[in-house]
Amino acid sequence: MEALRNAFDFSDFPRLDLTIAAVVALFLLTFPAFPHSAFAMATMIQFLMFSLYGMGWNTIGGYGGQVDLGKAQYVGIGAYTTAVMLIRWDIPFWVSMPIGMCFAVIWSFIIGYPLFRLKGHYFAIATIATSLVLKDLFEVWGFVGAAMGLEISPIKYSPPDFLRLIFKEDIYYYYVILGFFFLGILYVNWFRRSRLGFQLRAIKNNEEVARSLGINVHWAKIKTYAIATAFVSLVGSFHACYIKNIEPEDTMSLDISILIALMAMLGGAGSLWGPIIGASVLIPLKSYLKEWLGAQAGLIGIDLIIYGGIIMLVSAVEPRGIWGIVEKVRRRKRR
Amino acid sequence: MALLEVHSLHKDFGGLKANDDISFNMEEGELMGLIGPNGAGKTTLFNCIAGLHPVTSGQIIFGGHDITKFTAHEVARLGLARTFQVYVASGDLTVVENVMVGCFMRTRASSQAKARAEQILKDFKLLDLSDYLLIELPVAAQKRVTMATAVGTAPKMLLLDEVAAGLNPSEIEEIMATIRHIHNDLEITVMLIEHVMELVMKISDRLIVLDSGRKIAEGTPNNVAKDTNVIKAYLGERYVQEHAAELA
Amino acid sequence: MDILVSSLFAGVLIGMVLAIMALGLTIIFGVMDIVNFAHGEFLMVGMYAGLLTAQGTGMEPLLTLPVAAIVGFLLGIICYFGFIKFLIRGPMVAQLLGTFGLMIFLRNLALLIFGSEDRALHHGILVDKSFDIGMGVIVPATKLAAAGLSVVAFVCVWLLINRTKIGKALTATALNAQGARYMGIPTERMNALAWGIGGGTVTVAGALLVNFWSVNPFIGLLFTMIAFAIVALGGFGSVPGAFFAGIVVGIITEIPGIWDFFTYIFNVGWMADVPMTSLKYMWVYLAYFVIMVVRPRGLFGWKR
Repeated sequence: MEALRNAFDFSDFPRLDLTIAAVVALFLLTFPAFPHSAFAMATMIQFLMFSLYGMGWNTIGGYGGQVDLGKAQYVGIGAYTTAVMLIRWDIPFWVSMPIGMCFAVIWSFIIGYPLFRLKGHYFAIATIATSLVLKDLFEVWGFVGAAMGLEISPIKYSPPDFLRLIFKEDIYYYYVILGFFFLGILYVNWFRRSRLGFQLRAIKNNEEVARSLGINVHWAKIKTYAIATAFVSLVGSFHACYIKNIEPEDTMSLDISILIALMAMLGGAGSLWGPIIGASVLIPLKSYLKEWLGAQAGLIGIDLIIYGGIIMLVSAVEPRGIWGIVEKVRRRKRR
Repeated sequence: MALLEVHSLHKDFGGLKANDDISFNMEEGELMGLIGPNGAGKTTLFNCIAGLHPVTSGQIIFGGHDITKFTAHEVARLGLARTFQVYVASGDLTVVENVMVGCFMRTRASSQAKARAEQILKDFKLLDLSDYLLIELPVAAQKRVTMATAVGTAPKMLLLDEVAAGLNPSEIEEIMATIRHIHNDLEITVMLIEHVMELVMKISDRLIVLDSGRKIAEGTPNNVAKDTNVIKAYLGERYVQEHAAELA
Repeated sequence: MDILVSSLFAGVLIGMVLAIMALGLTIIFGVMDIVNFAHGEFLMVGMYAGLLTAQGTGMEPLLTLPVAAIVGFLLGIICYFGFIKFLIRGPMVAQLLGTFGLMIFLRNLALLIFGSEDRALHHGILVDKSFDIGMGVIVPATKLAAAGLSVVAFVCVWLLINRTKIGKALTATALNAQGARYMGIPTERMNALAWGIGGGTVTVAGALLVNFWSVNPFIGLLFTMIAFAIVALGGFGSVPGAFFAGIVVGIITEIPGIWDFFTYIFNVGWMADVPMTSLKYMWVYLAYFVIMVVRPRGLFGWKR
């Protein structure tokens, strides 16, 4: 029960932060009531999805300091489990999604055990390697549609279908993912105050010292990696029902993995608000850049050039991310 | 039964014999100093006992358990804690959070960990520094925080690695008081590596002296100070010869 | 039987080119302890450089190497002074993300400038010529020449590192940057030099590769991962290691041929159905993972 109390306890944040958070939460809840374009709605849904991806990544990557660049494989596991189960056996989302999470978590334990013997950039490259291996396998595996992927045709079902998560209007998807979004925040809030959360932060601080305080570093990392995986897989399942068209190149590519990591890194890894801030900057930026610039013939790629440039800028100037800057300023003011 | 027994400990690094046939016992409630010139193998000995290095041969028994092959976190969980002399930290944890990490070894509940951490900080007179990051504190305070963190694990024994290094005299007094508090009030057995002689001579019940990997003396501070082998190790053969008369 | 031999031979040949490609990565890592995720993109730039020079001037493609080398050298130095040197101040996380940003930047810049179609070289004295080296193995002359030139390039770099004063300064910086600085070796310039040599060697590899491998803006990632596998196997920072590991990895990429051989030998039905060709790079990624977990030092590595 203390876990629940912890999840809802935001009292250690300054009042200003909580007020802003409340305003944003209110905005998110009422957004569909404002006049908006379909494009804006789609961007908002993407924002919520990537916030969740980022929050999950943040547990192992931010609090734990283990830079994982292979999360896309779990998006795939979640998405494909849901898609396959729906298409072949008509299994609803609310059943296939947890099953997908189980598969993802099991896989994360299997590769996590050897994976976490590595550190630093060796670890990062290894995470990329495992994700690419899985993607390549999916690209030749007939059962999941190989490179062509899978398609969920909404015609077969009668939307709005709450069991299978098939809707005609985006607004349903919006509120479903918003619900998960709030749950995610509560979970991370619990995590950062929990024993595992503290262990991870101690590990990030200095692994040897952490060990001398009784922490089983290897195991703590694996457990947290599994948590991050569960987050990612959940959103992956949602992705399948929302986009209705999944293929390895789209869902499991390295670009997705980097994007996920970037949410937290830009916004501030190791903080609760970081991934959300990161997503709020990156997702609209990516969407609107693509809209305005990418579509113009002869300028393909310029949106991503700017995008790459921003990543370069942030890493060189303020690697702690936006929230890192905020905290730095606050500490200085306190002195 | 002794709390800590070290039997014929050998630790080789390639060709270098960092610890050469070291044996000693420590009783519960003792405060033992580990001294010796630089490079004598003191920190290596700590690291072997604390499970950081695998030993080349020998045996370590703590509280009746054979911990020779234990890893660092297993040793800690058994009740043997330690501090580090220098380490690089990414510095995200505040003082109270640091101590809470230690406390989390004994409890799963964060409210309990926090309460205990605050109690320890109050004890160590560090409570008003709770929300500072370690790097924002002066060195002496940092050291006391790391000691408080180790105490958070409720250890039976604590290994302190050069906690007085780089401190000025009044800070040394402060650290000495902290060590006395840990030893006398919290009833934790303490072994400390020290170079600051005024501290270790004053505070230890017993001393062990290492030189070039071997134990060359053991005894009360008074006896050890007069031991010619010890003087030789620190000041050299010639000094002993030249001052033979006064040392007799 | 000739499938096996020709696969192995092809693997060795391509391996040599891959080795010189990976050499730059290992040098940069050895000197600066930074991992360049944009490495494959440098290769891609080298390929375009070689292609365009040959097509533009009608020059013999294999003679475009010096041009590619210069382009790569400059690119490396510009990247260092313009960006990388700011990254090394920050945490490792930032370095990883930073070079990723560079990767995305370069990749899409190439897309913008060159468009997304595949391009390949079709002229030159060696095209459409091949050598029959017996045992039924036929080797395209371009590949043979590329492998030969790779070996030459390797020897050049090895001589540079081990026999020249500047090479020794570079090694000193790699072993102990602080100490080297005290000796009067300008670390900043060594870092830039590492990036210059790293960039130059990989673009040369690109100019060689483009003779038998078509280029488009997206091939970078594959080669980056191949380079990582080679460097991991050979040992981060080791020049001879990169050579031998390159050959091994080259052979791994020929797994489809080797697999076909064994399928034929054992005559097992299901073996023929495995789409090995699509999976051939997967083995490279797996190799990286297995090597790092089992023997992180690689074959010759001195850095961990």
